[in-house]
Amino acid sequence: MKMTEQEKTKLGWTTPFYQHILKEMILSVFLVGVLVTLSTLFPPELGDKADPFSTPAHIKPEWYFLAGYQFLKVAEKFGFLGEWAPKIIGIAGQALPVLILLAVPWLDRGPDRLPGSRKLVLLMGVLFALSAVGLAVWGHFS
Amino acid sequence: MIKSVFQKIWNFLDERYGVWELVEKDLLKKVPPLNWTYYFGGATLFFFQVQVISGILLLIYYRPTIEEAYASVMNITNNIPFGWLVRGFHAWGANLMIITLLLHMSRVFYQGSYKNPRELNWVVGVGLLSSALVFSFTGYLLPWTQLSYWATVVGTEIPAAVPYIGPYLKAYIRGGEEITQYTLSRFFALHVVIIPAALCGLLALHLLIVREVGISEPVSEIKKRERKQT
Repeated sequence: MKMTEQEKTKLGWTTPFYQHILKEMILSVFLVGVLVTLSTLFPPELGDKADPFSTPAHIKPEWYFLAGYQFLKVAEKFGFLGEWAPKIIGIAGQALPVLILLAVPWLDRGPDRLPGSRKLVLLMGVLFALSAVGLAVWGHFS
Repeated sequence: MIKSVFQKIWNFLDERYGVWELVEKDLLKKVPPLNWTYYFGGATLFFFQVQVISGILLLIYYRPTIEEAYASVMNITNNIPFGWLVRGFHAWGANLMIITLLLHMSRVFYQGSYKNPRELNWVVGVGLLSSALVFSFTGYLLPWTQLSYWATVVGTEIPAAVPYIGPYLKAYIRGGEEITQYTLSRFFALHVVIIPAALCGLLALHLLIVREVGISEPVSEIKKRERKQT
C-alpha cells in the first residue's frame, strides 16, 4: 500500500512534509492574530447568573446546535400522528444525520475520487449541508 | 564547545532510538502538492491546541460549584491579568475550531478522500466532530449563567425522548431530576478530563492513520495526470 520515494518522485511529489508543517505554522501565527482581534473587539458576554426560578423568554443554542434544535421544534408539529410522533421523529432527526455521516465511505464505494464522476454523491452532500444550514437559519430567525 | 554538546546529545539519542530515521521518515518524506484547502485540518488541530492551553489557564482560576462558578468566571474576566483574553481565546477558539473542522470535513467529502484506504479515518473524524460538540455542550454550562443553565435544561431534554430508557438517560446525564450541583460536577468532569482524554485518543489515531497511509492526493493532481496520459 505504501508508496516508495521513487514512486512519489515519478508522480512529481517533490515537497518534503516539513515544508507543509512550516506553512501551517505560518498560518497559526495569523490565526493567533484572528483570535486576539476577535477577543478584543468582540469579547464573549457573560450575562446574568443562573436562576432556576426565572425562565428567560428566548433561549437559543449555539449556532452549531441550531439545526438540531429547530428540527426538534419541527418534529413537535407532527403531534397529529399520535403522541409518540414528536419525540420519535425528533430523536431520529438527531441520530440519523450522524449515522449517515458515519456511513459515507460505504455509501460512496467506487474507487474513483474525481468529483466529476461522483455527481450524485456530491449533490446529496450539498442537500445535506443545505438542509442543515436552512434549519439553522430558520431556527435563528424564529 | 556548544556544538559538540549538542552533537553528543544527538548521537546519544540516535544510537539508542534511531532519531534520525524518525526525522527522515516524518519530516523529509515527500507529500503531494497540496492546495490551500489542505490547511483546514491543521487549523483545526491548531485551534484544539489553543483550547487545551487556554482551558488549562482558565482551570487555574475557575471554581466548579454552583455558588462560586459565576463569580470565578467574573473574576477571570475582570480581575485576573489577561483573564479576559484567555477567556476570549477559549470562547472564540471553540467556534473557530468547529468552523475549520466542518471546512476540513467538506474538503475531504468533495475530494472523496474518505475512499479506500481512508474509510476508517473518516469514521474517526466523525467521532472527533461528535466529541467536539459534546465538549462545547458541557463547557457551555460551566460559567453557570442564565444562558448556560437554560440551554442545558433544553439540551438534556433531548435524550429524554429516547423510547423506554429516555427518562433514566436524562436523570443519568443530569445526576438527578433537575440541573443541580451534580450536573455541574459531572459536566465539569466530562469537560476537563473525560472528553479531553477521549478526544486525544481519537486525535492520535486520526493522525497516525494519516501518517500510515499518507495524505490523499488532491484530485486536481489526479486530473492533471489523466490528461497527460490521454
